[in-house]
Amino acid sequence: MKPSNHSIVSMMLTIDRRYIFVLIALATLIPLLNPINLPIVISPEVRAVYDHMESLPEGAVFLLSMDFDPASKPEVYPQAISLLRHAFKKNMKVIGMTLVVTGTGMAEEVIATVAEDMGKINGIDYTFLGWRPGASAVILSMGQDLAGTFPQDHYGTPIDELFVMEHVKTLRDVDYAVSLAAGFPGIDEWYIYGKDKYQFELGGGSTAVMAPGLYPRLRGGQINGLIGGLRGAAEYEKLLDQSGKAMAGMDAQSATHFVIIVLVILCNVFYAISRQQKRGWRRT
Amino acid sequence: MLADGLPLDVLIGAWVATGLTLFIYTFLYRDNPLFKLGEHLYVGISVGYSIVITVYAVGVKLLWIPMVEKGQWQLLIPALLGLMISARFFPRIAWLARISFAFVVGFGAGTIIPRLISSNVLSQLEDTISPLVTMTASGLTYTMDFLDPKSDINNFITLIGVVSVLFYFFFSVEHRGVGQAIARTGIMFLMIAFGAAFGYTVMSRMSLLIGRFDDLIMFSGAEYGRPTFVLLALTVVVLAYWVYREKQAFRSTVEEKS
Repeated sequence: MKPSNHSIVSMMLTIDRRYIFVLIALATLIPLLNPINLPIVISPEVRAVYDHMESLPEGAVFLLSMDFDPASKPEVYPQAISLLRHAFKKNMKVIGMTLVVTGTGMAEEVIATVAEDMGKINGIDYTFLGWRPGASAVILSMGQDLAGTFPQDHYGTPIDELFVMEHVKTLRDVDYAVSLAAGFPGIDEWYIYGKDKYQFELGGGSTAVMAPGLYPRLRGGQINGLIGGLRGAAEYEKLLDQSGKAMAGMDAQSATHFVIIVLVILCNVFYAISRQQKRGWRRT
Repeated sequence: MLADGLPLDVLIGAWVATGLTLFIYTFLYRDNPLFKLGEHLYVGISVGYSIVITVYAVGVKLLWIPMVEKGQWQLLIPALLGLMISARFFPRIAWLARISFAFVVGFGAGTIIPRLISSNVLSQLEDTISPLVTMTASGLTYTMDFLDPKSDINNFITLIGVVSVLFYFFFSVEHRGVGQAIARTGIMFLMIAFGAAFGYTVMSRMSLLIGRFDDLIMFSGAEYGRPTFVLLALTVVVLAYWVYREKQAFRSTVEEKS
């Protein structure tokens, strides 16, 4: 017998996808409005970045390349806040920059805002170099002559006049560099044209989409740690013991993942049933 | 009522961000003029912003100031090479662009090839060829810790994965018998990799949704003038009117034809 077009199985397999959108929206919205604070387990790759930051002495040079734009803000921006807070808390010399032109304003905003919160002064405790075109060429050039690549900071002050850049002439003088990336240019470029050539310690932070592709670099020791997506940012916030937007979003993340897993299982079950029904119909 | 402390630019930003977020999400219902407005604004503003920053960072900071204030006139050479790329738009002098491209390709190949071989081939190869057993002063040991990426068992799994996946893409030999078993193992490793990538992609997209919802919740506050509620209502009304107009237009077309 031919299966009825009105059976639950056929209805579920041809369901209007807008119902699924509503379901996902609710799964996101409800936990954001009523958080239940699910536990967050720290992964070894996020802990590695944190531990390395902890191991650095006061006054160490920390370079944060914010290679993302507003399109990736929800995932990578909280990572930038956490790393900057950690670096400022440890009184490191912070150098901010970006290789992504559309992220310049946002990168400048995050470093200036966190620095102000932590009572840090531009030029003395930190600097924002801004953006330069060329991506890989910029990294190569920074390895040879940082002041030549960025003669002035983002605000037009000559690099030579900045206290924070006093002993930083090339990338070799950087104690720890972290690239927060959302694509090209990003962590790959910082390793290929930076660390591999000029030998400085490199960590990474990325969108979740990029994270699986970076695990070979992590395993090979090419990067010493990796903060992956909003989840990674939440782990770092927990390590710092400072609740931020990432930790607040984890309940919603878990809820949406749960809904998606249930939908995938249901979809497969209904698909299997429909195949079985079709086989039975062919036999008869 | 708006809070006294909020600057005007923050308020305008909140209303614009809320409006554009809602306009973009209307696509989930179906393609419509509000979505198109948001989409075109996004593209236009991104390009405009990039041009302004590029002109200032390159044209002013790296070119004009060093030349005029510091007399570094040698910078005219790269500036000229850059301008020559635009010659492509003029057929009679389009050949000039080839000189610039030759420079770009030459520089690119010269820098990229050795770096990529070192980083992506040699370093990864070195990591793949890891000892399958650990040699200590007391003799050979075998570490079975699955959570440690450097353990012997994980080195063994990596070896099987690399060999089987490479064999799967080796098409000169027919995949039969033992070859078929190895190729199928390779497919399993590939499927696990695709699954992990898909899982992370879902996580990433959900994070972006959380980010937008987070902002919408924040902008629903009285201090911002509740743009989320006001603009949501406005968006629904506009969308409903647009659907009504479309249906009317469809009906009149059908009537005209009949």
